[in-house]
Amino acid sequence: MTLVVNHVKKRFGKHMAVDGITLTVNKGEMFGLLGANGAGKTTTFRMILGLLEPTEGVITWENHPLSYRRTNLIGYLPEERGLYPKLTVKEQLLYLMSLKGMSKAAILRALREWLDRFDIRDYENKKIEELSKGNQQKIQFIASVLHQPELLILDEPFSGLDPVNMEMLKEAVLDLHEAGTTIVFSSHQMGNVEELCEDLIILKKGKAVLQGNLREIKRSYGLKKVIIHSDNDLSYLQSVPGVIHVEKVKDGAIVRMEKEEVAEAVFDAIANKGFVRHFEVVEPSLHDIFVDKAGGEDDA
Amino acid sequence: MHNFWVTVKHTIRQRLLSKSFLWSTIIMMLLIIGFINADQILSFFSGEENREGGSIVAVVDDTGQDEEIITMLLENKSETVHYHHYNEGDVEDALQEASDGAFDFVLSLSGDSTSLEATFFSDSSDYNMNEIVNQDVQRVKEAVVTKELDLNEEELAMIHAPVSFQIETLTEDGKVQTEESRMQAYWMVYGLVFAIYLIVLSFGTIIATEVATEKSSRVMELIVSSINPIVQMFGKLVGIGIVGVINLLSLFVAGMIGFTLNDTDVFQFFTRGSLDISLLWYALLFIVLGYFVYGGVAAMLGALVSRAEEVNQALQPLIFLAMIAFFIAIFGLNTPDSMMIQVLSYIPFFTPQLLFLRIGMGTVPMWEMVVIIGILVLSAIAINILAARVYKGGVLMYGKFSLKDGIKRALTLAKKES
Repeated sequence: MTLVVNHVKKRFGKHMAVDGITLTVNKGEMFGLLGANGAGKTTTFRMILGLLEPTEGVITWENHPLSYRRTNLIGYLPEERGLYPKLTVKEQLLYLMSLKGMSKAAILRALREWLDRFDIRDYENKKIEELSKGNQQKIQFIASVLHQPELLILDEPFSGLDPVNMEMLKEAVLDLHEAGTTIVFSSHQMGNVEELCEDLIILKKGKAVLQGNLREIKRSYGLKKVIIHSDNDLSYLQSVPGVIHVEKVKDGAIVRMEKEEVAEAVFDAIANKGFVRHFEVVEPSLHDIFVDKAGGEDDA
Repeated sequence: MHNFWVTVKHTIRQRLLSKSFLWSTIIMMLLIIGFINADQILSFFSGEENREGGSIVAVVDDTGQDEEIITMLLENKSETVHYHHYNEGDVEDALQEASDGAFDFVLSLSGDSTSLEATFFSDSSDYNMNEIVNQDVQRVKEAVVTKELDLNEEELAMIHAPVSFQIETLTEDGKVQTEESRMQAYWMVYGLVFAIYLIVLSFGTIIATEVATEKSSRVMELIVSSINPIVQMFGKLVGIGIVGVINLLSLFVAGMIGFTLNDTDVFQFFTRGSLDISLLWYALLFIVLGYFVYGGVAAMLGALVSRAEEVNQALQPLIFLAMIAFFIAIFGLNTPDSMMIQVLSYIPFFTPQLLFLRIGMGTVPMWEMVVIIGILVLSAIAINILAARVYKGGVLMYGKFSLKDGIKRALTLAKKES
């Protein structure tokens, strides 16, 4: 009952878009696929969906490759949003969902529930081009979940949403998760990933640079930082061995270090150099890990 | 199969409910009805020009035959021509009055009954008139002469008894072309060649535009995650084909309405039996096959562009092909059995037009027909398989349009190895 991606590669001409990634997503799990632009996220999704054939490797869902005979099991929210601009919300979903094998009555019933949930009940007979971008996005989300898929793939589900709508959508995703839907999603907003997913993979140029359980990754990740609140100039900390970077912020500085032990040296260094209101060693955020791992000279 | 029909239904619905389709069909129907009844509409606006009972021909008689000819000519009552004995002057006077509008035409007769000379002063507007007047004069002359010779009914009947003239085919599988059947074949071929051209032009554009629109609105990626792009492509082709049939049917109905308003018995044309019904079946077959050959390519080209604005540019090569086929076929109407037409009719893109031309206007041996139609069917399948593969990759591909690179890239995308 799992999604298995096994040593999958995809080559476009000379360009290796996905270079040998392996991952397993258990049933009911929420999985994050991270990476800078062009890292191979969308290509991976397309291969999972069967839109593209892997050059090498296999992808299976419950021990079978996904094919068009089983698309009703899958929901997909593409990164490039798109619906028929000239069709109404109802016409739109009647077509898209009947492609998933749903009956007309079932589609309409589910659609009305979702429209109620998103507070856009009046838009049922409006054309897509008449809706605001945020509302179009809600319709697009509905189009990916209306048929109650077992596997839901969300490519950048929260991009372009205002905070209110983002919360609304996040809640919907969490509810689906609780209902047992297996969800794989990608996002640029690390905050969302930290809140939502348990396991993740970070891609860089088609390769997995980091992979595993989010909490374990954070705990075992060598990169640590110290937050210091002080009125004094702290730039001299740069010379402490093991310190990577000293970032000056409004009420002090954030010091990045190679490992936790360096914190002692930093503490010693500032101990007799004036007053310090605050000194805290914190775990790195996913953002820090992402920038450290996925960033680089060609980060887009 | 379920998704195939869902797509067919969706395609038809979207087309039929679109305002532009509705209006263009209504306008076409009105145009056809109007065109068929053009003469009545024109005469309505220029009512007085057309005198009751046809044109008046002033006859100037210089034959000196006791007015026998002129009397018989005047007795000749028809709807189109009325003869008027002009004895107020000579030909010059009659012409003068005709130009003033008193008569439409002037006929001058001279000589005697055995060597009657007639001069008809006509204008260029009605060549039919010359023929009618010529026949009338001829008939009157024959009547006068037989009367002079004092022939009885039997002798007269012997003269007019027609020769039994039968036509047999030269070879066993050959066929005989009467003037009527030749003209019918001519117009049917002309009609089909034109129809295929129009179908390629309009429905090819519809197919390609629809695909390109789905791509540019980016709904395509969502669709192909639910339905195999190949199934979707054929669903579209069939859906638009059915819309085309509905379109043609409505034009046919318009034609029927037009003829009914015009009091022409259209059914006579079909029931008279002179029309070769098998030709109609061939026409149908070639329209369907031609649609899939050209439609498959159109869908492929549509999948290669990213924006609807680029559709015309992408379709250019296909339209050129249809244009070439059109001109060859028109040229071939006069030489259906020429070597060039024979050879070119083997090329799938030209087969529907040229083989139909050859069947309609000449004779095609059975074996050749089977071979050529076989090639057409196989290439329709091959073209659609290729189109489907390009389509599969093409729908996920965005960027600047280039035919050669586009096809290559699309095939790469659709393929496992690259």
